[in-house]
Amino acid sequence: MFRSRVATLGVAALVLAACGGNGTATQQKKSELTLYNDKGAWTKFFDEMGALSKQQIGLGMKPTGYTDSAQYQAFIKASFRTNVKPDLFTWQTGGMLEEIVKQKQVAETTAVWQEAIKAGDLSQDLAPYYTIGGKQYCVPMNVAYWGMFYNKKVFDKYRLAPPQTWDELIKVADTLKRNGVKAFYHTSVLFSFVWFEQLMAGTDPDLYDRLATGKAKYTDPGVVQVMERWKSMIDAGYFINPGDKTDPGDVLKNGKAAMVSFGTWFNTSMTQRNMKAGADYGFFVIPNVNAALPKTSMIFESGPLCSLTKAADPDASMKYLKWWTTAEAQEKWATSRGDVSANPKVTIQDEALGAVTKDAGGGKYRLVNRYFEATPPPVLTAALDGFGKFVTEPGSYKEVLETIQKAADEYWSTHQ
Amino acid sequence: MRSPVLGRFRHGYVAPAAVLVAVLLYAPFVWTAYLSLTRYDGLEPPSWVGLDNFGKLFADPALLTSVRNTLIWVLGTMVLPVGLGLLVAVLSYDLKGGAWYRVPFMLPYALSGAGLAMVWSPVLSHDGIANLLLGVDTAFLQEAPQNTVAMLLVWTWQQLGVNTLLFVVGLQSIPKEPIEAARLDGAAGWRLFRHVIWPLLRPLTAVVVGLALVASLKTFDIVWVLTQGGPGRNSETLAVTMYKETFVASQYGYGSAVAVLLTVVTGLASYLYLRRQVR
Repeated sequence: MFRSRVATLGVAALVLAACGGNGTATQQKKSELTLYNDKGAWTKFFDEMGALSKQQIGLGMKPTGYTDSAQYQAFIKASFRTNVKPDLFTWQTGGMLEEIVKQKQVAETTAVWQEAIKAGDLSQDLAPYYTIGGKQYCVPMNVAYWGMFYNKKVFDKYRLAPPQTWDELIKVADTLKRNGVKAFYHTSVLFSFVWFEQLMAGTDPDLYDRLATGKAKYTDPGVVQVMERWKSMIDAGYFINPGDKTDPGDVLKNGKAAMVSFGTWFNTSMTQRNMKAGADYGFFVIPNVNAALPKTSMIFESGPLCSLTKAADPDASMKYLKWWTTAEAQEKWATSRGDVSANPKVTIQDEALGAVTKDAGGGKYRLVNRYFEATPPPVLTAALDGFGKFVTEPGSYKEVLETIQKAADEYWSTHQ
Repeated sequence: MRSPVLGRFRHGYVAPAAVLVAVLLYAPFVWTAYLSLTRYDGLEPPSWVGLDNFGKLFADPALLTSVRNTLIWVLGTMVLPVGLGLLVAVLSYDLKGGAWYRVPFMLPYALSGAGLAMVWSPVLSHDGIANLLLGVDTAFLQEAPQNTVAMLLVWTWQQLGVNTLLFVVGLQSIPKEPIEAARLDGAAGWRLFRHVIWPLLRPLTAVVVGLALVASLKTFDIVWVLTQGGPGRNSETLAVTMYKETFVASQYGYGSAVAVLLTVVTGLASYLYLRRQVR
């Protein structure tokens, strides 16, 4: 009996030792870092960055890319409670970043920011998106400005030029419609929010900001009017069917829709389809609906690259984040994807994107945080569902707004 | 005679499997049941809210849509993959080379649910092959409940083969004598099936229907890949609602309440059905 008890205790001790992890483990020194991300399609570009970092700072990087954002977020959150921690990981700004910073999971990067701003590698304008409680966390993995990509050949065929005002944009859409061409792309899944944020930001950006922080309601007259405008555009026949599952890159290339609104990262879709900037497609800033606004509103997004306070080798992780912001790293990162960079020193090859980046950095536009980052997850989920319903049943807009507001009421009742 | 050695260690043989089941199945279940009584965002510690999540769940109009769609899946599965599976099995059973006729029905079963949905996505989308071939302009995946019906047809395409196979196995296990005796008495066709074959197939039918019932109640992958439960929430099933609330909206407590509801519904339906069958 005694022997069997001893054996049982021994087994239990071994199991506990195996499961318990090593809270007192000494810090590892790493020569290769893991980078978890929800951008599975960008693995090639991450790999190239890993090779370059190995060469430049002696630290390699191996990406693990998820393609499902929800699964990715659940994995990262779960990893906080285990010893399987990523060295580096991508995340979202806004409420999502605040959430994990509050839990003291994310390593502070204030020193990296100060140094990078001083060296001209990061812009002061970006800092607020990464500042929580006066300190910075993470560094920008990427930045993107949202505008309209257009099929240049279709525009040339109907002698159209990029519009400067909202009325001109509608005239362009009317001309295309008369010629049997759908003007705009939209969808009922994931990116169903694009036209909502664009119309809101171009009509009343203050209301958009208040909406994002729970200080305004989705049922407010200003929001209802935006939905009515959106509905009138759908009713006018400007949009392709939202159930069309053609990749937006192909939609633009085939001319199924003449214009597709996305972030500058959409440029990668174009280059992957062998489309040439300036010859096959162009990019313009979407004019405000409300011409009286002092600045053109431009949707802006920036995805953070973070490391953990309890990373296996915090020094190596921080060294990598610091390197990521440098011009050498950013030159490679931006040019390989054909996108813009968070580093103002990087020259953007695409002329149109280069001009937008320069103007945005020079304060020409009112930058508006993308809806995806600006809105808390439970409200965002309800909103994406709602806009998905709206684009297929435009008459349902009031019901949709009420449903989103219900989710917002519930969220803000415990999060103000 | 029971071996004294075996008798002494018999619990030891079961222990590893029992521990695995307890750790991997029952512990998560108990944890989920606990979470359903809390508010939990996956990061901050869960805070106890009692039955609030269930109150909220039953007041949510989206739950009604989920339940309606899940019901369509259950009923549709009984009629299509199970019913048609039986039909194909019976019609092909006596045919010379019948096994070859069944092969095309079997092949889609090799695909996973997600793979299946990827294959059918370009067929059913608005610009898809179905509209092109049929010369119509139908939003197969957009309007409810036709999107659920369309996905059910895809499900039938995949599941028909395995149900056919199971029914064929059942037919093969029926003793020849009663069928021959019935034939000698002049029974054939529908009468033979209705009064002789069908009652003898009953034990196998109980298994096929039981499996199909549980599979249809937890329908997730096809819906998730083809419509993500949308547009709006009009094609959500209970399993999709559970996933969205938990992992997309980060409402782990509320999502757990949906999981508990789904477990209760599945358990109850299985119990009622099996109890009826073993009577």
